[in-house]
Amino acid sequence: MSSTAKRSWTAAARERAVGALPPDKLLPDSQPAYMASWIYIFGVLSLVSLVVIIASGSILSLKGPGWWHFTGIGHFFNSIHMWSVELFFFFMVIHLWGKYWMAAWRGGRGRVWMTGAVAFVIAVPCALTGYVSQQNFDSQWISTQAKDAMNAAGIGSFFNLTNFGQMYSYHVFLLPLAVVAIAAAHILLVRKHGIVPPFRLADRTGAPGSHAEAPSSGVPGERSPAREPKPDLDPSDHAS
Amino acid sequence: MIAAVFNLNHPANTVHWHFFVMSVSNVIVIVIMLIVFVLAILVPFPGHGRRERAK
Amino acid sequence: MSRESRRREDESYREWTGGYRPYDILREATIALGVVLALAVVLTILFSSPDDPPSTIKQWSRTDPVDFVTTATTELDGSSTTGSYGPPYNHNSDGQHIAFIHLAKWLGVSHPINTAQDFVLAPLRSLTSQPALQTAISTYQAAPAKTQAGWTTAYETALAKASATPSGSLSVRPGSYGPVPTMMGSLLTFAQSGGLDGALLTSKQFYQTDYTKPLLFMADGGVLTNRATADHLLGEQWGMMNETGSFPGQVWLWLYTFWYQIKPFSTSANADILVMAVMGVLSLAFILIPFLPGVRDLPRRIPIYKLIWREHYRSAPGTDGL
Repeated sequence: MSSTAKRSWTAAARERAVGALPPDKLLPDSQPAYMASWIYIFGVLSLVSLVVIIASGSILSLKGPGWWHFTGIGHFFNSIHMWSVELFFFFMVIHLWGKYWMAAWRGGRGRVWMTGAVAFVIAVPCALTGYVSQQNFDSQWISTQAKDAMNAAGIGSFFNLTNFGQMYSYHVFLLPLAVVAIAAAHILLVRKHGIVPPFRLADRTGAPGSHAEAPSSGVPGERSPAREPKPDLDPSDHAS
Repeated sequence: MIAAVFNLNHPANTVHWHFFVMSVSNVIVIVIMLIVFVLAILVPFPGHGRRERAK
Repeated sequence: MSRESRRREDESYREWTGGYRPYDILREATIALGVVLALAVVLTILFSSPDDPPSTIKQWSRTDPVDFVTTATTELDGSSTTGSYGPPYNHNSDGQHIAFIHLAKWLGVSHPINTAQDFVLAPLRSLTSQPALQTAISTYQAAPAKTQAGWTTAYETALAKASATPSGSLSVRPGSYGPVPTMMGSLLTFAQSGGLDGALLTSKQFYQTDYTKPLLFMADGGVLTNRATADHLLGEQWGMMNETGSFPGQVWLWLYTFWYQIKPFSTSANADILVMAVMGVLSLAFILIPFLPGVRDLPRRIPIYKLIWREHYRSAPGTDGL
């Protein structure tokens, strides 16, 4: 009830959120029929890798940074953490290769691409702060080497790789928070905009002014009767 | 400490190609990534075969 | 292609009005979680993870006392890497730059380190029960700078031909080194007892988490470099991507480390800031790919998409649902 009275922030925020992401967009139970390729699983594989990273990292932080050096179970969870990081980057890079070759930024999806790219760019220093928090020779070497790059760029004046306390704080809290926030934004944008449709085969030839050379009106979005989409629903067909 | 099945705690073997110097394990990771990417695109996705046969 | 027609084409891809099929997003995510968890566990059981123990100043001074004392002497006269580094540790150089951009210098000295004071004189001053040592330090500090430099330079030259005795001390040929050998002898003993590791760490307050001083001291010598060389971790060995042992490392750093292998970066004193600048530009370009002409058109020109969407093109010819 806000037509003439002062507009409620809460109501406005709620209406905006629900407008962008109604429940059936947030948690859909169908997907476009063109999603018929294994390349589409690498986004969710990246996401669940991040979940395993955070879960194993949480267990490591429960017992403090020294624990894993002295117990078998601690070393086990450190190994899970290390391998899930390798898997995270493995799946994320294949995901971005696929999305690039699909030109997945089309149709107003520029921010989807950008948030995904930023997630990758932030994950790199997040991993770096982890490597220098190990408290072993690897940390000693990486911190004393990489500090030169930080110092040269001026970043070293407030981001000291050889300061274990600072690096541990960045690694356990600040940078994972940033990665999760960007990844959440990325996923919500994907849900909002939907998965990018395929390129039209009969499309622009690249000649100036030519566009949508398919045998129809050529106006984007307009479908001629001969090109009505065939229903592609088969209730007996379940992808998973 | 529980020992791993394969002990990787020895200096890495490296691959030298022109000026590229890379540890074998990193080369394996990169090669597997490329193979998985190609397979992901080429391997048929289940479901469509059945739909085609059903038509 | 005109901007208007490009905009119209892009708009046409906004909505999909074609066919859908049932899909269980939560079930897929749960299965994926199980798969990744299983993969991580299998990899852990097969390979575990590396944990090479850290070097300490105690170990370093015991296994290579010549390198330790040589490094300590360069810290005393400021000729070490840290001593002559510049910002953020001191003002003894301007740091790296690109043209007129001196980021390190502009951001200033935020972590002051006086190598003579912090690595040598202050730890030695704490050994108050050694009167001969305290006298030697006072003699050194009272001497003119030129005299001090003469002593340390002569000692460094002699150290190049020095050797370690079985007891861990040094055998250096006699020369005109002033009080420097007395000071370095005590520092070596202090380091070999483990006291210097702690002294460098707790210099400012009781609780410490900042290992900058002991790490820079070790990095100025050969102890870390020798281990790194064996593990192929040096910059010129593409070390940034590598891990200790035979484990996979940070493979995603391949492009960062690549630039260091080629000119002009490989021979430049400003290699680090140059590489950071290049990677900054490339990272920005990566984020902005949708807006970069040419790069954004490549997927259309190299039609890998025809393989990805081949089922769609085959099953509904002439239909785009757009």
